[in-house]
This record gives sequence, C-alpha cells and structure tokens, in this order.
Amino acid sequence: MEWLQLSEKCIWFGCAAVGFAVLFNVPVRTLFPIFIMGALGGLTKVALVHLEVNVIIASLAGSTLIGFLGIPFAHNKHAPPPVFCIPAVIPMVPGIFAYRMMLGLIKIAGDIDKATSVQILSETIHNGLKVMFILMTLAAGVGLPMLITRKDSAKDIRFRKTGKFIDDSME
Amino acid sequence: MSDHQKNNNINELGTTLLHIALLLMASGASSERVRNTVDRISNAFGYTTYMLISQRTLLLSVYNDAGECIFNSLKRTSAHGINFKMVSGISRMSWLVVEEKWTIEKIKEDIARLCALPHYPRMVVLLLTALAGSSFCRLAGGSALDMAMVFAGTMAGLFIRQEAAKKRFNPYMCVYFAALTSSLIVGSLVKLDHQVNHEFAFATSVLFLIPGVPLINAFSDMIDGNLQNGIIRGLNGFIISFAIALGLLTSMAIYRF
Repeated sequence: MEWLQLSEKCIWFGCAAVGFAVLFNVPVRTLFPIFIMGALGGLTKVALVHLEVNVIIASLAGSTLIGFLGIPFAHNKHAPPPVFCIPAVIPMVPGIFAYRMMLGLIKIAGDIDKATSVQILSETIHNGLKVMFILMTLAAGVGLPMLITRKDSAKDIRFRKTGKFIDDSME
Repeated sequence: MSDHQKNNNINELGTTLLHIALLLMASGASSERVRNTVDRISNAFGYTTYMLISQRTLLLSVYNDAGECIFNSLKRTSAHGINFKMVSGISRMSWLVVEEKWTIEKIKEDIARLCALPHYPRMVVLLLTALAGSSFCRLAGGSALDMAMVFAGTMAGLFIRQEAAKKRFNPYMCVYFAALTSSLIVGSLVKLDHQVNHEFAFATSVLFLIPGVPLINAFSDMIDGNLQNGIIRGLNGFIISFAIALGLLTSMAIYRF
C-alpha cells in the first residue's frame, strides 16, 4: 500500500516536470522524455526518503539519475541535456523547507520572544541549510555525467552495453 | 575572392556569431554552452573566437590563423526569457554547420526560422503550469481541495505575471505581483477554513515562480570556473526568491495570519 502511494507520487512528479517544461518552451518532442525523467527521478527520491535515507542524499540520487538519463535522451531526441534535465529536477525543489525558512527569518527579524528565540533560530538554520544543500545537490546531480566523462559536449558521450563510456576519438 | 568580399564575409560571420551568443544567453544557456557553441561554429569556418561573457553584455573577437584580430564587437542582450526551443535549435544547428559545411547565409536563415518558431499556446502554458502547481501541492501532502485551489491560484498568478511583463514592469515586480496574486487566492482558503491545516497549499501556491534555471545555471557556471557569471546568476535567482517571499508576506499581512 505504501509503495502504491509512492508510485502515485511518480505521476505528480512527472506532471510538475512537464508543466515547467512547457513554461520553459521546450521542443514538443522532448516532453515525453521529460515526464519519464521527472517521474523516475522523483520516485528515486521518495523511495529513498521512505527507506529513511537523508533527504539531501535522496535528492542527490534522484538528480543524478536524471542527469544520466538525460544523455541517451539527448542523443535520441537531438536536444542538449539541460533541456531535459532542468525541468525534470525542478519538482524536487524543497518548497516547504524554503517556506518554513522564510517564516522563521520573519520571526527572527520581528519582535522576538527570549524564551523561544533559540528554538526558532535553530529551526530556521536547519531548514535554510536543507534548502541550500538540496538545491546544490540538484544542480550537481544534473552536471555529474559531464564532470565524470570530462567532455565538453554530450554529443561525445556514448553509453555502451559494457557500461563504460567510450571516447569517440578512440573508435 | 577579392579583399572586399572577404572583409564583408568576416563582418557577417562575426555579427552572426555574436547574434547566436546573445540569443543563447537570453534563452537560458550556461556560459560554457554559449562559449562552446560559438567556438564550434567559428572553428568550422577556420577562425578562433574569444568572448567576454557577462549577464547582459557580450564582447566577441574573431582571430584568423595568423593571430590577427579581424573582427571585434560588443552588444547588449535583450531581456532574458527562458526559451529552450532556441537553445536546442541552435545546438542542433551548430553541429550541422560542422558536419554539412553550412554557409553564413544558411545559418542566418536557420536563426530567422528559430526566432519565428511559435511558443506554446497561452492557454496550454497556463493549464499545464497550473497542473504543475497542483502536483507540487499533492507532493507536499495536500488534499484534493488544496490542489484545486493551488490550480486556480497558479493559473491566475501566471496570467498576472504575463500581463505585467507585457506592460513592461520590472521583471522582479512581475514575480512579486504573481506571488501576491496566487497567495491571495490560496490564502482565502486558509482564512475561511480553520478546521484543516492548509499550510501546504499556501506554501506551494508560489512554487511555479521558483528560479530553477538561474540557480542551476549558477551552479554549473561556478563549477566550470565562470565564477563571476555564476555569482551574478545566483544573485539573480536570490532576488527572484526574495520577490516571491515578499509577495507571500504581503498576503499574510493582508489576511493577518
């Protein structure tokens, strides 16, 4: 039953990704891959969170999966990987943490009650750092395939059945 | 080829390269992508190009084999508006230029074609973005009622943002208006229905405004070593987030939460 709920979330991740894709005016041929990537990346994240992995690590795993899925889709659909990856990772942005951080900052800036101030401060810092780290892991995950293969363009990356990246110039 | 003709060609190539770079920069490509694409095209013509990239201005110099600077120009980009059709179209074109030895005329034609490509119909954008908003709400744990309200709020907010952009308001003001509109609409639910906690709906109503492209580009620029570009893009994303927070705050002040 729990896993059914997780896979329902999959669809919402996909829908959110497609919504942003349309907002960013992506080519029509990339919409379906973006849905798949958003859904799988999101599923990875919620499944890991469900298995009690830290939400930051879970986001990194999800966005890394999206980053790697972006390469074959980029070859297949003739569009650069960021066109796929950026809309697909946006549903993982930690909106609720950011909202709570904002509320906390307002409380700190306003009239402060000495009794609760330390708790508010620590909660705000906690939420803020989560937002910051999750955003960084999202961007890092998307960029990982390029960093690992040390290529300037995804066009040079070939994903072979052996599971190794093979340089075009070596063929 | 006569000298005169050659000069004309170089001028034309330089102008086209600068135009491509400006389009890429305004459409939301990272600095490294702009540099790579322009390098690729100019190498196909046998020239070396160096660029100074900043958020709103680009400086481009073209050098020939002898190392002489034969073209130098500086131009300001148009207002930034994310358009991935442009990014993907130019990337595809740059490879065709290399593989099929395109002429400058053909490149110009292709750019004109890309610029004329239609955006999605406005209604489709509004509906799908609203769907994205309510998906966010669902992911955060909202109920069906929350989702419906966020749907309406997001749609109205995006509509206001587009209208404000048409009226040439400052881009950050557009974001502020949009955040205010959607949080006012969703806030009415929180105000009227005290029994249930609608915090998720209120928090996710403005998520369609999150500056995803500036923030992700900021990170990739910094990793590539374009620290200045990265910091400026990050700051841009930060100000947009601030405008969103300000919109939320205003409606919280209006409703006295």
